[in-house]
Amino acid sequence: MTVQPAVQIHALRSGYGEAMVLKGLDLTLQPGEVVAILGKNGMGKTTLLKTLMGFIRPAGGEIELFGKASAGVAPNRIAQREVAYIPQEKALFQDLSVEENLRLALARDRDFKPMFERIEDLFPFLKERLKQKAGTLSGGEQKMLLVARALIRRPRLILIDEITEGMQPSVIERLVGILLRERESAGTTMLLVEQHVRFAFAVANRYAVLELGEIAVSGGTADAAAQATVARYLSL
Amino acid sequence: MADPVSSISIPTATTAPWKGPVALGVAGLVVLAVCSVAMPTFLVNNLIRAFLYAAVALTVDLLWGYTGILTFGQSAFFGIGAYAAGLIFTHLGFSWGYAALALVAGIGVAWAVSRVVGWLAFYHGASPLYASVVTLVLPIVLVQGIYSGGEFTGSSSGLSGFDSFDIPIELWFFIAGAFLIVLAVMAWLFVSSDAGRLLVAIRENEVRCEYLGIDVSRYKARLMDTAAVIAALAGFLFACVQMVVAPEYAGFVFGTELVIWVALGGRGSLLGPIVGTMLIDVGSAYLSGDLPYIWTLLVGIAFVVVIVAMPRGLAPLIAGGVRHLVPRRRRAAAVPVAFCSAQARAQDHAHDAWPALSVHDVQKHFGSLKVLDGITFDARAGELLSLIGPNGAGKSTLMRCIADGAERSGGSVKISGTEIGTLAPYDCVALGVGRKFQTATVFESLTVGEALRIARHRVAPPSRWRREPTLALPQPALDVLRTTGLDRMSDRECRYLSHGQKQALELAMVLALEPHTVLLDEPTAGLTKQERTQIGEIFVALSSRYRMCLLLVEHDLDFVQQISSRIVVLHQGRIVMDGGVDEVVGSELVRAVYAGESHAGEPRVGELNSEGQP
Amino acid sequence: MLNLGLDVVTTAAILFIVSAGLLMIFGVMKIINFSHGAFLTLGGYSSVIVGHAGLNWWWSVPFALLTGFVLGIGVERFIVRPLYARPLDAILATWGLGIIVGQIITLVFGREVQMVVSPVDGAIAVFGGHYSVYRLILVGVAVLVALALGGLLNGTRLGLQTRAVIMNESLARALGISSARVRFMTFCTGAALASAAGALITPLSSVDPNMGVPWIVGAFMLVLVSGSSLLSLALASLVLGGAQVLVSTFVNPVLGGLTIAVLAALLLRLRPEGFARG
Repeated sequence: MTVQPAVQIHALRSGYGEAMVLKGLDLTLQPGEVVAILGKNGMGKTTLLKTLMGFIRPAGGEIELFGKASAGVAPNRIAQREVAYIPQEKALFQDLSVEENLRLALARDRDFKPMFERIEDLFPFLKERLKQKAGTLSGGEQKMLLVARALIRRPRLILIDEITEGMQPSVIERLVGILLRERESAGTTMLLVEQHVRFAFAVANRYAVLELGEIAVSGGTADAAAQATVARYLSL
Repeated sequence: MADPVSSISIPTATTAPWKGPVALGVAGLVVLAVCSVAMPTFLVNNLIRAFLYAAVALTVDLLWGYTGILTFGQSAFFGIGAYAAGLIFTHLGFSWGYAALALVAGIGVAWAVSRVVGWLAFYHGASPLYASVVTLVLPIVLVQGIYSGGEFTGSSSGLSGFDSFDIPIELWFFIAGAFLIVLAVMAWLFVSSDAGRLLVAIRENEVRCEYLGIDVSRYKARLMDTAAVIAALAGFLFACVQMVVAPEYAGFVFGTELVIWVALGGRGSLLGPIVGTMLIDVGSAYLSGDLPYIWTLLVGIAFVVVIVAMPRGLAPLIAGGVRHLVPRRRRAAAVPVAFCSAQARAQDHAHDAWPALSVHDVQKHFGSLKVLDGITFDARAGELLSLIGPNGAGKSTLMRCIADGAERSGGSVKISGTEIGTLAPYDCVALGVGRKFQTATVFESLTVGEALRIARHRVAPPSRWRREPTLALPQPALDVLRTTGLDRMSDRECRYLSHGQKQALELAMVLALEPHTVLLDEPTAGLTKQERTQIGEIFVALSSRYRMCLLLVEHDLDFVQQISSRIVVLHQGRIVMDGGVDEVVGSELVRAVYAGESHAGEPRVGELNSEGQP
Repeated sequence: MLNLGLDVVTTAAILFIVSAGLLMIFGVMKIINFSHGAFLTLGGYSSVIVGHAGLNWWWSVPFALLTGFVLGIGVERFIVRPLYARPLDAILATWGLGIIVGQIITLVFGREVQMVVSPVDGAIAVFGGHYSVYRLILVGVAVLVALALGGLLNGTRLGLQTRAVIMNESLARALGISSARVRFMTFCTGAALASAAGALITPLSSVDPNMGVPWIVGAFMLVLVSGSSLLSLALASLVLGGAQVLVSTFVNPVLGGLTIAVLAALLLRLRPEGFARG
C-alpha cells in the first residue's frame, strides 16, 4: 500500500487579478518531509502559501492535501484539516494575551492544558507570560509564540512564510532545534518559504527555488553543492 | 467586486453630440404641450408632482448612481425650496417680487446648507458610511427645526392657503414637465461629456483620482451644491403649484423614498430613475387608496429584492426591451480618441537649482512601532534611484510619505525646493510628483482614452458637454503608449486590458501629469520577461532623455542593477547604504541584509566577519 | 441638581441599552444595521403581545430576545450575507427591510398608539428628591447588559473568536475559525439585543409602528463614535447623552433631540476615531 502524499500540487496557476504569479507549478511533499521553497521576492513564494491556505483562488491546476482536493477551499476549512499557517505579516493578535492567541488555534478549549504541556519545554518563556498581551513580547519572543501556536495543535502540515525575517541569529539556532525535534518526534510535514539559505538547509531535507513563478532548480539538501547552487540563484 | 450600475447607453453622434438629446428634448416638450390639454385633470395633477419628484431623483442618481455618494438628504433641499416659498407667501403675501425673493432665498439657503454638509462629509480620508449618515441626519435636523418653529413654520401641520401664481393647471403641467426635460437633457449631455467620465472615475477609484491631482472632496462638494440648488428649485415650483408645504416634504422618509425610486428604476442611468419615480409615484396615487399599507410593503419588498439580487435595477430590462424595438445604430458610447503631442509647458527653470527631491530625517511610526527612522537623502533630475531592502524595511511607507504630506510622523520632504508640509496627494501632484501604485489601479469601466483624459484633468480640464476627438499628451506619455501599443487601443475599456497593459497605462497616466519626479512602486510585479525589458528601457529614457527623477521600489535585483544610476538600501526603517550600482551590489553588507543574517542595530560596513555577522 | 444628574445617568443607560446590539454588529461586520429601528419596534410589539396574552410584563424581555433572534437569522442569511462585498448596499437593504417590517406591523396591529402597562410604577425617594423607579432599574439593566456582553466576549470561546474576527478576520480564518459563523451569531445576538431594548423602553413611551425612528439616528452616531469598543460606547453614551439632557433641560427639548447627532457628527469630523483609542 503506497502512502499518499501529504501535499500534491499539479500545474498550479495562481495570482492576483490577471497577474499570474505562479504559472504551472508542480510540487509533491511526502508525509514527514520538510521542503524549503527559496527565491527572491516577488517570485511567488507567498502566493504559493496563500493559495494552499485558501486565501487565493487558483486560476488553474489541482491541489490535494492528504488526499483531499483543496483548491479554492475556504481558509478556515483548510485549517480544520490540521494545517497550520504562519503568515509573514500581522500574524498575531497583538491585543490578545499569549494564552488567548494559543487557545484560538485549538479546536477545543478544554484541550489547552494538555496540549500546552506537550510543548512547554520547547518554549520555556511562554509559561510565565501566558496572561501578557502578545504585543508586549519582544520581536523574537513573538516569533517563538507563532511557532508555538502552530505546534500546539499537532498539525499534520505546517506552512511557514519567512519566519526568520528580522530574527536574531541565536533565536534562529533555537528555532532550527525546535523544528528538527518536531520533525523527528511527530513526523510533521513542513513547507517553508525562506530567503535565509543556511536556515533552510539546516531544517529541510529538500529544497526548490522559485523563479518567476516556476521551479528553476530543486534537490536534496544533503547534496554538498546544493547550497552554493541556491546561493547563486539568490545572489545580488 | 461587481459594480452594480446599469447604463442605458444611447448612441450619440460624435461630432455634434448635443443634437440627439436636444432633439429628443424638443420632441418631449411638444408631447407635453399636447398632453397638458388632452389628459384628465387627476392625472395631470399627479404628473406635476411626479415630474418634480423625478427631477430630484435625477439629482440623487447623479450623486449616488454615477459618483457613488449615497445620499438620503436631497429631500432636505427640496424642503428648503418649498418652505422658502411657503414662508414668504404666507407671512409677506404674494407678488412677483416676493416670488423672486422666495426663489433666491430658497436657492441661497440650500446652497449654504450644502456647503456645511460638504465640509462635514467630504474630506481627504472621509468614510462613505459617515457621509451617508450625515446626509441622513440633515433632513432630520431640518424637520425638527420646522417642528420647533411653532406658528411661524406651521409646525407639524405645515403651511397652506397661501397665494401663488395665477396660472392654469395645464400651464403648470408644462412648466414642471419642461423643467424635468431640460434637466434631463442637461444631465445627459453632462454625463456623456468628457467631464462626466470623472464621476465614474471617482466612484471606481477615488484614491487614484487624488493622485492624479484631482481634489476629489471639493468636486464632490460642488456636485452636491449643484444638486442642492436643483432640488431647491424643484421644491419652490412644488410649493407654487400645490400651495401647501408640510414637513413630510423635507423629511428623511421622502429622502429615502428617492433612493428607493432610483434603485428600482436603475441607478447610473438617467432614464431609469425618471421612469421609476413616475411609475411608483403615480402608481401609488392610484393604488394606495385601495391598499394603503400593502402598497408601501410591496415597494419595500421590491426594493430589498432589487438591492440584493438585481442591483442594477429594472433599467437593464427596459433597455433590453428598447434595444429590441429601436433599430441598431452605431454605438458611439466608446469614442475612439486620437492622441497627439501636447505643447511643452514653459519650463520653470527657477527650480532647477534645487534637487528634484529632498528628504530630511523623515520618520513614521504606527503607535509604538517605528517603521521609518531618520531617512535622509536627495535625488536630482536625471537620476534613476532604486530603493531596495527586505520586506518590511519600509520602502512603500517611504513612497507614501513623499507623495502624501499627511503620512509622515516627522521630518521634512521637499519637492524641487518646496516643503510639502501636510499637503494632500493632489497638492503634491501640483508640485510635480507622480506616483505609480504597485497594483495597477486604473478605472475599469472607462476606456484607455477616457482614463488618460482624466489624468490630464489638472492641466486641461475636460469639456462639460461634449466629447473631444483628440487628446494632447506630453511626449513621455506618448512614448509609453506607442511602445506598448496602447495608442491604438484608445476605445478599449480598461477592464479588458492585460496586467502588463494596465501597468503601462497607469504609467502613461502618471506621465500625463507632467511630473518631474516619478515614484514607482514595484513596477515590474507580475510582468513577463519581455515586458520587464520594455519597461526598463522606458525608465532609462525617462531619466536620461527627459531628465526626470525616478524613484523605484523594486525586488527584482537584476532589473535594479541594469537600469539604476544609484541604489539606496533600506533595512528595518533606516538607510544602511546609499551609493552607485557597483558599490552597493558588490557590498558584503547588502548581501548580509538580504541573507537575513544581520539583526537589528546598525551594522557598519567593513566590520562583518565571514558569516556576515557584525 | 440631583435630578439632573440622575437624568444624565439614566439617559446614558437607556442609550447604551439601545445601541449595544448595533455596536456588536458594527464591530464585527463593519456595517451599520439600518433595520435597527425595526428591531426596536419589534421588541415594542412583543411587549404588546405579552400584554394581550395576560402575562406579566417582564416576560416581554425574553420574548423580545427570541423574536429578535429569529428574525435576525433570516435577515443575516438572506439580506446581509449576500451583500458582504457591497457594504453601502447592505445598509440600503437593511433600511428596506426596516420599511417592510414597519409595514407588516402596521398591517397586523394598526397604526394606533398602544399603551403598555408599566411594570413598576411611580417614584422612589432618592436623597431627598423623587425619581422614577423604572428609569433607575434601567441603569441596573444597562450594567447587566454590559457585564453580560463583556462576559460573553471575554469568557467564552465564541467571544474570543468574535474578538479575533473583529481584530483580524483573515488571520482568524487561517486559524480555523469560521468567520461566517461568527458573523451570523453576532448579527442574531445584536438583533436580539435590539429587540429586547425595544421591549425595555416601552414603559417610558408609547408603542407605535414608528417608535424606533427617534432612536436610530442617535444609535447610529453613538456607534460610529465608539468604533468596536463597549467601553467607548459607555463613555459616549454618558458624554453625548449628558449633553442631550443638558440641552433639553436648559435650552429646548427639540434641540435636545438633535444634540447627539450634531455633536457626534462634529466630533467624527474632527477626530474620525471618535471616542475609541486612536
